[in-house]
Amino acid sequence: MTEATLRVVGASPPRLDALAKVTGQTRYASDLVITGMVHAKVWRSPLPHAHIERIATQAALAAPGVLAVLTANDLGDCDPFYGPAYKDQPVLAIDRVRYAGEPVAAVIAETERQAAAALALLEVTLIELPAALSVDAALAPKAPLVHETLRWAGHFRDLARLRPVPGTNVCHHFTYTRGDVEQGFAEADAVYEDTFRLPPIYHYAMEPHTAIARYDANGLTVWAATQHPFPVRKELAEIFHLPLAAVQVVVPPVGGAYGSKCYTKIEPLTAACSRKVQRPVRLALSVTEACQTITRHGALCQIKTGVRRDGTLVARQCDIRLDTGAYADVGPLVATKAGFLAVGPYRIPHLQLDARAVYTHHVPAGAFRGYGIPQVSWASESQLDRIADRLGMDPVELRARNLLVRGEAYAPGELSIDADLQEGLRRTATAIAWSQPSAPHRGKGLACAIKDGGMTHSVSTAVVRVHADGSVTLFCGAVEHGQGSETVLAQIVAETLGVRLETVSVTTPDTALTPYDQGTSASRTTTLMGRAVHAASLDCRQQLTTMAAGLLGTEPAAVQLRDGTLWAGEQCLTVAEAIAQHFGYPGGEVIGTGVWRPVWTGGHLGGATVFWEVGMGGAEVEVDADTGEITVVRYISTADVGRAIHRQQCVAQDEGGAMQGLGSALFEQLFTADGQLLNPNLIDYRVPTFTDLPDTFGTVLIENADGPGPYGAKGVGESGMFCVAPAIGNAVARAIGIRIRELPLTPERVWRAFRGEKPS
Amino acid sequence: MAEQHTASRQTILIRLTVNEHGHEVAVEPHETLIELIRDHLGLTGTKKSCDMQVCGACTVLLDGRPVSSCTLLAFEARNASLLTIEGMAQGGTLHPIQEAFIACSGFQCGFCTPGMILTAKALLDEHPQPTIEEIKHYMRGNLCRCTGYKRILESVQTAAQRLASAGGAR
Amino acid sequence: MLQPFALEEPTSVREASALLARYGEAARLYAGGTELLLAMKEGLLHYDRLINIKTIAGLADITRDADALRIGATATHRTLERSPEVHTHFTAFTRLEAHVANVRVRGTGTIGGNLCFAEPHADPGTLLQVYDARVKLARQGSTRTLAIEAFFVGAFEVALAEDELLTEIQIPYLPAHTAAAYRKFGLLERPSVGVAVAVTALPSGVQAVRIAVGCVGPTPRRIYEAETMLSGKEIAAVRAGLPEAGELAGRAADAVSDLHGSADYKAYLVGVLLRRAFEDAYQQAMAGEATDG
Repeated sequence: MTEATLRVVGASPPRLDALAKVTGQTRYASDLVITGMVHAKVWRSPLPHAHIERIATQAALAAPGVLAVLTANDLGDCDPFYGPAYKDQPVLAIDRVRYAGEPVAAVIAETERQAAAALALLEVTLIELPAALSVDAALAPKAPLVHETLRWAGHFRDLARLRPVPGTNVCHHFTYTRGDVEQGFAEADAVYEDTFRLPPIYHYAMEPHTAIARYDANGLTVWAATQHPFPVRKELAEIFHLPLAAVQVVVPPVGGAYGSKCYTKIEPLTAACSRKVQRPVRLALSVTEACQTITRHGALCQIKTGVRRDGTLVARQCDIRLDTGAYADVGPLVATKAGFLAVGPYRIPHLQLDARAVYTHHVPAGAFRGYGIPQVSWASESQLDRIADRLGMDPVELRARNLLVRGEAYAPGELSIDADLQEGLRRTATAIAWSQPSAPHRGKGLACAIKDGGMTHSVSTAVVRVHADGSVTLFCGAVEHGQGSETVLAQIVAETLGVRLETVSVTTPDTALTPYDQGTSASRTTTLMGRAVHAASLDCRQQLTTMAAGLLGTEPAAVQLRDGTLWAGEQCLTVAEAIAQHFGYPGGEVIGTGVWRPVWTGGHLGGATVFWEVGMGGAEVEVDADTGEITVVRYISTADVGRAIHRQQCVAQDEGGAMQGLGSALFEQLFTADGQLLNPNLIDYRVPTFTDLPDTFGTVLIENADGPGPYGAKGVGESGMFCVAPAIGNAVARAIGIRIRELPLTPERVWRAFRGEKPS
Repeated sequence: MAEQHTASRQTILIRLTVNEHGHEVAVEPHETLIELIRDHLGLTGTKKSCDMQVCGACTVLLDGRPVSSCTLLAFEARNASLLTIEGMAQGGTLHPIQEAFIACSGFQCGFCTPGMILTAKALLDEHPQPTIEEIKHYMRGNLCRCTGYKRILESVQTAAQRLASAGGAR
Repeated sequence: MLQPFALEEPTSVREASALLARYGEAARLYAGGTELLLAMKEGLLHYDRLINIKTIAGLADITRDADALRIGATATHRTLERSPEVHTHFTAFTRLEAHVANVRVRGTGTIGGNLCFAEPHADPGTLLQVYDARVKLARQGSTRTLAIEAFFVGAFEVALAEDELLTEIQIPYLPAHTAAAYRKFGLLERPSVGVAVAVTALPSGVQAVRIAVGCVGPTPRRIYEAETMLSGKEIAAVRAGLPEAGELAGRAADAVSDLHGSADYKAYLVGVLLRRAFEDAYQQAMAGEATDG
């Protein structure tokens, strides 16, 4: 179909969930009430590393309403470990706690209040152990080992090539070599070395993690706010020695995720509680507990780049250390991506890239929108501007000189560049009027980045059911967590099948009913689940046109299906009529299936990337010379979406990512002291508010229909986050003539930079 | 009024109007308004997020003024008129603010949305034609992590226009 | 989650005071509860009994006396934000109240509760100091009035006897040619640095300056040394003296390093805010925006 004939794709219809969300009718996991449901509260370790000597439960058990106390002793008949890279994380701490905040015991009571009151009655005796409270400490000789042995999870292909360093706290060392960096540096006219830092930050999904589990004679059902229902199902089945068919994970609409709800989190603990009391159990974390569950990796990036006088990049050496906390979660993959993408969207012949995910006795860090690219881009895009400055080159020109072109290889065995990066750079620069000089105390900056999009090795399945009255239901496991996937996938069904959007509904992800989907992350849903949905819709379309052809006495190729009516010349049948005539009465249905499976298996990321997610950003800032306060006057984000299925939602997603990036650039940071999180709450952790909205704030969409998704779509959703920090950092550097290499760019940090103080 | 018992047994019988329906509920002094709304009355549109009066997800209107139901004690709603998100639409007809949020896509995950809509209502009731700065200031206590605020701002501005042309606040 | 407590609802100050006397540390006064209930939810504080003083009639009233405005302790921040009387006499206070926390906290939290909870990272106490405000304290059968400076004893600590209530804040009207201003700074939910200045100025010169710093130390405080430096001088000399006054005020403020920032940065910001608040107040005083009842 040409663009001109698209009826639903490319438009911005009201979202399918709009009515429910504006009327408060949407029922999130935290709104569900299951008959007989009781409540759990978690006792968490106050110490970062300690031996569990004893858990005295008598007083808690005697408290009003308490049904049981769950400890690791109750899990002896389970395989009580989970984790997407290593099965290193216990459902409840076994013998030892590895971070302050780690779950040690759970109290289950009739009411939430009773469970909370009884928590205080647990007596847990901990013997403190020496703790590795920084990456430096964890890498020092004779550092306490967070894990003595590691057990591969062996599930995801992109987590198959793990390279731990035995006897150390390095749970994964990604390394990549191309050409000869030393030779490259020798050939370069100038070499620049910088170190960049980022603290851990908190996703703050407004709905904290919540799960309800019902473990009984029928099996295990878990209602959970999760992005990965099928992987969670698998882990639950393995932990409790159940067949997959006996485990059901149901995902209501999720109140924000951004990666915090990736992979297994509180589901096994909730299930274990239910198993213990033989009642449905609800576990709803507070915001503080969510912060103690998963964070974004703090990082140290050392980056050394060799360049020719004319700005051609020749060599890059990058060493990244990520603090992955006490449990690996997807730290290894974040490290791999951060390392592999340290090149940026540029042509650099000589490379030595190393990235390490390091265990420490901190809260685990895991998936967060951007998956390592925001961290490495902070380093590489900041340094590039510094290089431009030293060479006396315009930063836009320096980038333009080195940007990869469409069809050019990023790396051998990897998908070649499938976007027009020059167009993105040009449009970003224009959007912030790059060539116009800034007023005093103001400056402009921009940044570019790419990330492997769509996940390198994943499977999605979709089923489309066309009912006897012509209405349609899409069964798929994609999780709606705000990004609009429900609506986008319904648009794909409507467009491909040839029915009106109003007749399409989408089911809740439910592993017992919706077919297998690897997960909703990595910007893969529109593209890859979209492909499965597209295929399933085509399958239905073919069946219906064949059906109609038989009924109308013509060939299937002569039958058109649009707006729910089948046409052959002057003759027509509604879908309902066709089905009724086919089955002989107004019953029966047409079912179509579609599968996306990985296409090719080259590449360094466990498979070749399916598309390149491109993100760019341009910022103009004003800096208060007295206080150091930064005001972002203007921020424009550029997203290459291939084809916007829902144009408004593409822009909306990108704006949201950009604002979240603004938070990480200007004020977000988790403070830790002695392994304790100091600010795991909204009073002491600052997220963007209305008053942070720049006067000019928007997104430019690039649509060249060059994506692998339906109608040429690519994914969007992470790219907004990639470039905000370096674009702002570059703008600040131009405004004040000083480059700051550590995030966030708080007023105090800027003030110290004014005073020429060395960073602490 | 309060009955004298031991601390854990005291209950207060309160009368209040919720979304124009009268209710009589027995609450304990320590119960919060959000517990009354969600647990006693089964109205789950009001959400608990930060639990510290910062994020605004729990916002409801008490006699027209926005309050943090996560922290306000339930008995403080006695003899008051409470508006929750469930009361914004009138018999299946959306309030213009709700329509504006749909038209401008002022939501994504929707968790902050009930609080946003109610706060917008309180703002527009008080100030039918707010400037951008006034909207930002009034709604600064309502956080959103998904949208980046731009579309919520546009929703409120659109709502103001629609209400003005419809002849004033509802 | 809040654990159970009993509720008392006295209808007079005397009754409230008697309850405090009777229950001692097991009880606490409760008005808006925006700070108290938060601390109780977090498990930092627990009381068996909360004494609701919003049921005492007249305690929220705002009254114009001949020489001062009397503000009832249970008046909410929002009431103060929108009060015509406050706006007429103390525009800086109106502006301050409009920026306390968020609109929900302003609609529920009270000025009396704010002062009594004595959270260091708070605004009103700082400005009230340069207004030379007084607090009226009552206990069974007797009242006393205290200068606001004497009211703040330490972080979360005020000069209230066990059975005493704060019933009223009295703010004397500003003398002629006098205006005040408050400037604050902070990234987090609560303010990090706050500086209040009151200036009495004529074309001939700056006659008096009052300065208070809040949020950085355990209590808000007047900085008399800096005031002396700047009072009774021509404007040019005052402006020249502002940097030194700012440094002095920054040192005297006893800033601590915490999540809000390092002590040295906060001390530096005191100087910046002092300069800005001074100019603001000076311009207003010279423009005759001072009010005299």
